[in-house]
Amino acid sequence: MNRSTSRIITMAAIAIMMVLPAFAGDYPLQVARNVMMYMALAITWDMLLRSGQISFGLAGLVGLGSYATILAVVRGGMPDWLSILFAGLFSGLVAFGIGFFILRLRHTYFSIVTLALGEIFRIIIHNLHDFTGGPEGIVIQQGVMFGGKSGPLYWLTLAGLGVALAASYWFEKSKFHFALTAIRNNEVSAKTSGVNIFRWLLATFVITSAIQGMIGGIFVQSYGFASPDSVFSADFTLLPMAMALLGGIHSTVGPILGGILLGLVSEWLKLQIPYGHLVVYGLMIIVVILFMPSGLLGIARKAGSRKSTDENQRRAV
Amino acid sequence: MAVKRQKAITWALGLAASVAILLWKPTVLIYGLQTAGLYAAIAIPMGLVLGIVHIVNLAHGEFMMLASYATYFACKALGMDPLFAIIPTALVTAAFGWIIFQITIRRALKAPELNQLILTFGLAIAFTQVINLMFTSQTYKMPLDYVSASMDIGDLTFGTWSFVFIAMAMLFSFGLQFFLTKTTTGKAALAVGQNPRGAAIVGIDVYKIYGLVFALALALVGAMGALFLTKSAIFPQVGSPFTMKSFCLVAMAGVGNIPGILSASILLGVAENFLRAFRGTRGWADIVFFVLIIVVIMSRSLKGRKS
Amino acid sequence: MKKTSMVLAALLLLVGGVFAQGTIKIGGIWMLADITGNQGSKAAQLAVEEINAAGGVLGKKLELVVADDEGKADKAAAQVEKLATVDKVEVFLGGMASGAELGKIPAFKKYNRVVMSTGAAGSATVEKALGPSPESDFYFHLHPWDYNQGASYAEGWDAIQKQYPNIQIKKIFLAYEEGAFGKSSWDATKILFGSQSRYTVDGAPFKSAAFGGGDYTAVLEAAKDFKPDLFLWAGYDADALPLLEQSKAMKFSPGIYLGAPPGWPIGFGSSKLSKNVMLYGMWSTALNDTNAQSKKFYNAYVKKFREEPATYFALLAYDAVYILADGIKRAGTTETAALVKALEQTKYASALGETITFKPSNIIKHQGITRQKILQWQDGFQEIIWPFEAATADPVYPFPLWK
Repeated sequence: MNRSTSRIITMAAIAIMMVLPAFAGDYPLQVARNVMMYMALAITWDMLLRSGQISFGLAGLVGLGSYATILAVVRGGMPDWLSILFAGLFSGLVAFGIGFFILRLRHTYFSIVTLALGEIFRIIIHNLHDFTGGPEGIVIQQGVMFGGKSGPLYWLTLAGLGVALAASYWFEKSKFHFALTAIRNNEVSAKTSGVNIFRWLLATFVITSAIQGMIGGIFVQSYGFASPDSVFSADFTLLPMAMALLGGIHSTVGPILGGILLGLVSEWLKLQIPYGHLVVYGLMIIVVILFMPSGLLGIARKAGSRKSTDENQRRAV
Repeated sequence: MAVKRQKAITWALGLAASVAILLWKPTVLIYGLQTAGLYAAIAIPMGLVLGIVHIVNLAHGEFMMLASYATYFACKALGMDPLFAIIPTALVTAAFGWIIFQITIRRALKAPELNQLILTFGLAIAFTQVINLMFTSQTYKMPLDYVSASMDIGDLTFGTWSFVFIAMAMLFSFGLQFFLTKTTTGKAALAVGQNPRGAAIVGIDVYKIYGLVFALALALVGAMGALFLTKSAIFPQVGSPFTMKSFCLVAMAGVGNIPGILSASILLGVAENFLRAFRGTRGWADIVFFVLIIVVIMSRSLKGRKS
Repeated sequence: MKKTSMVLAALLLLVGGVFAQGTIKIGGIWMLADITGNQGSKAAQLAVEEINAAGGVLGKKLELVVADDEGKADKAAAQVEKLATVDKVEVFLGGMASGAELGKIPAFKKYNRVVMSTGAAGSATVEKALGPSPESDFYFHLHPWDYNQGASYAEGWDAIQKQYPNIQIKKIFLAYEEGAFGKSSWDATKILFGSQSRYTVDGAPFKSAAFGGGDYTAVLEAAKDFKPDLFLWAGYDADALPLLEQSKAMKFSPGIYLGAPPGWPIGFGSSKLSKNVMLYGMWSTALNDTNAQSKKFYNAYVKKFREEPATYFALLAYDAVYILADGIKRAGTTETAALVKALEQTKYASALGETITFKPSNIIKHQGITRQKILQWQDGFQEIIWPFEAATADPVYPFPLWK
């Protein structure tokens, strides 16, 4: 698949998401909100992955953002809108602080440390009962944003996804693309060619973490509560990774496709097999990885290259 | 010379600390070691797989869960004690692991490590959910008398059964050390772990070694699954938390350092139990695990940078 | 892409929905992978079939539409939307985990249809999110809140000490799992038993085996130092036997050893260590001897599904359907205002051995059961000790000393 095709798919996906509220009922809108939230996480996770760094810290950042939002609202009386932005800002700042240390790590060690940091955030929140509500969680007394109306909440989530998409596109277009690819392919040669590895990594880490925190804020404002089990759920780490991989990594369109695939299939399976859909879900992930190792995008690329070689052969004839 | 002296100082400090703890709060050390044994015995097979096959097996704990279920129902049917099932379970789990390796993981070995990660994540979901579907989320537990074995020293009374996990962990650790350094297959495995391409060039069948090592690791997981059943209740999610814990321990020891897993476990087990022993710090016992992991990994990376 | 667009199209088609005539649809949401939800949904189905066999409600058949919330807030919210807009259910039923319930509440409020809730005991979050009357009047909470349970235990122990003078309790120790369930038990215990300084209360958290813990040495050390008359643990079924085994290893044998998990492990009664362990719960097979409704349910359930009801959540779901059907009959409609009014008059002799009515709790207006029971494992069976009107045995005291 070349650049323009992937852009067309992305545009089509965005267009569908934009017009969905006009004709879809509350159920598809709610499913779409869930899918979009994971999609935004998958895209931002992939953005950091483009440098070769595999983060296991998604759940930690979502949880951090969630609590930043809810504590700002409940303890600080911050307006709803502002609290979501605050979650982004707060997570970004924390990422900036810890990024200085942990971005020097590579491979498994980076993954483990991001995982451990997420757990540390969770345990701290778990233990500060009086401030955070502890293990039971904390609720927003005045309820969810927009009085729980599906339409506006849908737009809110779409806005979150929009920020992730815009950032990802900006990365693909700007110097980020060159810098991150260079780091991923060969750090040493990237260094010698004058790429300040650390600065690019830090910027990427801060931006993606801020968006992930903001998604946490949107989650809180959509459901009106946060509890350690819900917002630090391992699902927030593993499902976006699976989505990005099943769609195709190192791109914007891959996580979009993967998100749609996993999100809709899981919901569809549940309607078909209420008692056992998760077995099929697990098997599906296995089968997709085995037979489509580069994700949906890989298949599309292969089809694309086959077509062009066919054309070349025809021309040769 | 300096490194040697540093090492000696570390050892001396560690020894002094444990003597101090032993005198002040003996239970901390006793229970800390028991916890450490359990952690290490589960983590060592993961360290073997990560060190030689180079995959992070996110279904690690789930394989142990499967072994425990198999042991439970076999023992129930035959009226057998799970201790007698350790070796049979090890063999069955090894065979099962080898098959799973051949039909799934092997095909993903050439793909980026992320593929292996998500593939084993899929395996983990499938395993847990199949068991959930077959046996529901209810827990099963073997009632065994000997797990309540206890010992009195002065006015101190403590359970002794869990020491068996330390024995198991040491057996795993020294056994693997022997296998990897003294046997031909083991040496080949070590060579594959260090440099798969080089090993292939000198005529080692890399994929065969991978399959063997994976099966060996699964044999240990299976043995541990049977032993785990003596102490713990089992349910579909019982293995999952151990996957992450093992992964952390392996990383803390450093990939490829199997004996290090045991020392890392002891450090964590004792530290955890130390915090648990006091009212004010009880709730924070979990955090020490993750803080120590970060500290060790960061300081190692700094040291690596300096030298 | 083709696959996904097909799935999308299928989903969109579903939105149109079909409105079945001649049936009253009930939407049941549980976590189906969990034993409580799995059996709760089956028990509710059993009640629906029984009611239909007896002629249905208002000349219509009941229809139960089961949905899986997976114990997750976002998935739960989607299932409420589906049941409300696609299946067009008229009333809701179910619930267990507080985290999933919190995800449902905004959607429940939006549709304002009657909800008969069978779980979610966390008052600090769920009851607070529901808010006061009248906005939460649609919500009928069958299961006791955490503070209801605490109060009923305090009441129960007072009554037991009066009835059986040989049982004397001064010091209570609570070992609680560190999650939401244990923490809320601890809060309730501390307040209710600690007040008026009639009891000395202490406690310590532990990590439940259900979440990768299972090391009880530290918490038992603390308990042993405290020397309680009543040792109580709030955890999960996975903790039951290992805790006892560890207690025995440490020779910790308090006068009363009591567990409060939502369910017990399979075969717990066959373990020697289970002897005279006490427990909190709502139901046991012992109730079949004294309560006809319980016996009817038990026999029908075992016959239909060839398994034992493992926890009281199955009975709660069964009762919930009967209470709803009864209310709809009296209201003559499922319209919310009328049905709420009819349900407020509920006086239902439940399979749990008590008559269920709805009264205001701390925040909401419709709280059903407020009492739990105190039971004891005797010869492999759970016998009811308190409330005395439902009692099936006298307590055995003290808990046997470890040999």
